[in-house]
Amino acid sequence: MHKFGIALAVAAMIVGPMATAQTASAAQNSHDSSVYTQPAAPKAAAPKAPDVQLLDCVGGTGRLGCGPGWFWRDGWRGLSCYPC
Amino acid sequence: MKSPTMAVGSLAAAAALTVGVTIAGLGSAAAQPDYSRLPVDPNVITDSLAYNATPPVLNPNGQPGVSAVYNHRDGSRQITSTILILPDAAAATAALNGSRSEAAGEVANGQPRPAAVGAGGEMVSGMSPDGTQSVTVLTFTQGNAAATIQFDGPPKDPAPEDLVVELGQKQDTAIKDWQA
Repeated sequence: MHKFGIALAVAAMIVGPMATAQTASAAQNSHDSSVYTQPAAPKAAAPKAPDVQLLDCVGGTGRLGCGPGWFWRDGWRGLSCYPC
Repeated sequence: MKSPTMAVGSLAAAAALTVGVTIAGLGSAAAQPDYSRLPVDPNVITDSLAYNATPPVLNPNGQPGVSAVYNHRDGSRQITSTILILPDAAAATAALNGSRSEAAGEVANGQPRPAAVGAGGEMVSGMSPDGTQSVTVLTFTQGNAAATIQFDGPPKDPAPEDLVVELGQKQDTAIKDWQA
């Protein structure tokens, strides 16, 4: 009887860590059904107005010194810079 | 080489011609005031070559004064200046009212608005009745003179208001200088 008790104790010592390990493994089960709150995705920033540099009417940087937004043509004041 | 006698003769003939022309000129100037230099050429406010002037018409429609037409070199714009010289300011105002009535028929849906030109300056802009041209008419008086400046141009390129006022003010100054 005493031997049986010892044997049982030894068996428990061997099986014990294995059982514990299995429990730990169970905690890492990928089939976990717990519901987790998904952190909110960061809000997308409102689109910023494009930084546009106004060019002259034909997409250049201004002819004959007219500058952006002005166009060189023959108009009421003759050959001169006129707004686009 | 010319002989001295021929040279003196030519000089005398030239002098006689000059005196004759001068006397004739003075005589006609006394009989009829010369309004031909009254209209202001729009080239004074442009690149100086934009407009070609037609010979001024003196006493248009039998009224004392002058009318001049300036055509833009690209053929798409025209400025017509008419200055009438009346006996007094009241007559000039009456003539101006007549011009405005005419302008109302030439500018479809035009809304008259004040213009800082002369006395009672007024401007009306719009389209020609057939819709093929932009039309702006500036009218004002200066003393006994009644002035009308009409700007005809492309339908989508009416005469800029600043140009209309600038030319009108120069015309007003020219009339005042002429009256002085």
